Amino acid sequence: MSAETLILALVVVTALGFDFTNGFHDTGNAMATSIATGALKPRVAVALSAVLNLAGAFLSVAVALTVTNAVVHIQQKDGTPSPSLTADGGQQLLMLVLGGLIGAIVWNLLTWLLGLPSSSSHALFGGLIGAAIAALGWHGVNWVGDGTKLGGVVGKVILPAVLSPVVACIVAAAGTWMVYRIVLGVAARFTDNGFRWGQIGTASLVSLAHGTSDAQKTMGVITLALIASGHWHSTTSIPVWVKLACALAIATGTYLGGWRIIRTLGKGLVEIEPPQGMAAEASSAAVILASSHLGFALSTTHVATGSILGTGLGKPGAEVRWAVAGRMVMGWLLTLPAAAIVGAAMYGIGHVCGDVGGPVVDVAIMLGLAGYIYLRSRRSAVGAHNVNDEWEGMPASGAAVSAPELTSGGVA
Amino acid sequence: MSGAFVHDVRLALDAIWKVLLASVLLGAGLPAVFALAIRSLAGGRLVVGRVVAGVLLLVVAYGVASGLLFIVASGQGKDISFAHVIPVISSPS
Repeated sequence: MSAETLILALVVVTALGFDFTNGFHDTGNAMATSIATGALKPRVAVALSAVLNLAGAFLSVAVALTVTNAVVHIQQKDGTPSPSLTADGGQQLLMLVLGGLIGAIVWNLLTWLLGLPSSSSHALFGGLIGAAIAALGWHGVNWVGDGTKLGGVVGKVILPAVLSPVVACIVAAAGTWMVYRIVLGVAARFTDNGFRWGQIGTASLVSLAHGTSDAQKTMGVITLALIASGHWHSTTSIPVWVKLACALAIATGTYLGGWRIIRTLGKGLVEIEPPQGMAAEASSAAVILASSHLGFALSTTHVATGSILGTGLGKPGAEVRWAVAGRMVMGWLLTLPAAAIVGAAMYGIGHVCGDVGGPVVDVAIMLGLAGYIYLRSRRSAVGAHNVNDEWEGMPASGAAVSAPELTSGGVA
Repeated sequence: MSGAFVHDVRLALDAIWKVLLASVLLGAGLPAVFALAIRSLAGGRLVVGRVVAGVLLLVVAYGVASGLLFIVASGQGKDISFAHVIPVISSPS
């Protein structure tokens, strides 16, 4: 196997790995509320979300080939890689993308271990930014937009991250407040069943929207790598196997469940009742779709978290655990720089270790970190069986790791 | 850089209040309509309550269907306009 084929293969596999983490990191965005209120059994919820993500990934034929253009200068406007980066057969560009992907994966796994919802897109952007700085210097990064439309790190990452949770919070708080006012005095047997269906419907919309937007990003990254190495030439279509592989990766990730994050969103932030669950997901769906319609790029994670927080504020007498919210915001602030540092380090290490050794060492480091994080997570495993336990931080350690849980795979 | 930064902030604020407006209408309004439907279903007068609830649920269903249509249409690279109540799908200009 030549050096070019090796690094291309590693980039493709790593990208699919990222897509997979993207899936389980974001299951909670759509399903945490339905799981917390018991509207859906945990396993049914993640299965439904996985199917809808799969469907969403296939629904979109639009090509997200220019996904990196938002933050770094490694592609031209038409999506083809910058010629200066592909002069060596694509080696430098592939190394850069690999570094970025590993930065994103490591951050996704770390935040998952901590049970923190954080944006996978921002992690990917952060990783790419770090790798681009290491490879090209500061001017490799597209910091601000061109003045005619929102762009760059400021326009595509920072401003949406600041504004979208606030908007979602306001919408969900207003929705929750009205819903509770309207059904005041109505017997629970009417409300519980009704809102249960409302919750499932709205959560399904969020899942479907997630599949259409997020799987595309990985498809774009893999196709970029294929073009850079001369294995693909079209900028208006992507190989069928890429689409298939990405759709399956995000769906299996979603099905795995990301229980630690589901628990934080469903139980940690606010104690959620069915009307709140419906208001939260309706708010998330509306904000995601409205902003996508208006070309305002935002992260599903930030919106979902803002919505859930909002339902806590909108319900009279509900308690919001601000310490948990504070930890999340801290995580969001760190996403970009942390993923960037890992991305830059990976590019640097890969560069030093050469064309063949570089990518292999990078991937080995990533696998080592992933294995370590996985082993750490076993000390306080969260799964379908304990995701809804009373909130006292993460469930008790040690005893939670039981044999049936190991075999059923519900440990993520 | 600072000029471009200010530009980005202005563009973001331009977009975000529209997102807020649309989202309050759909994301908070529709749940409220849904809650009204549940209230009228639970009310004493059976027939009237069910008719009212049915109409309200149709409004909600329209909203959900529009959302679904939007996801599908934008996935296919089409534009979709809600300007005439009935969603109109078109190829991007």
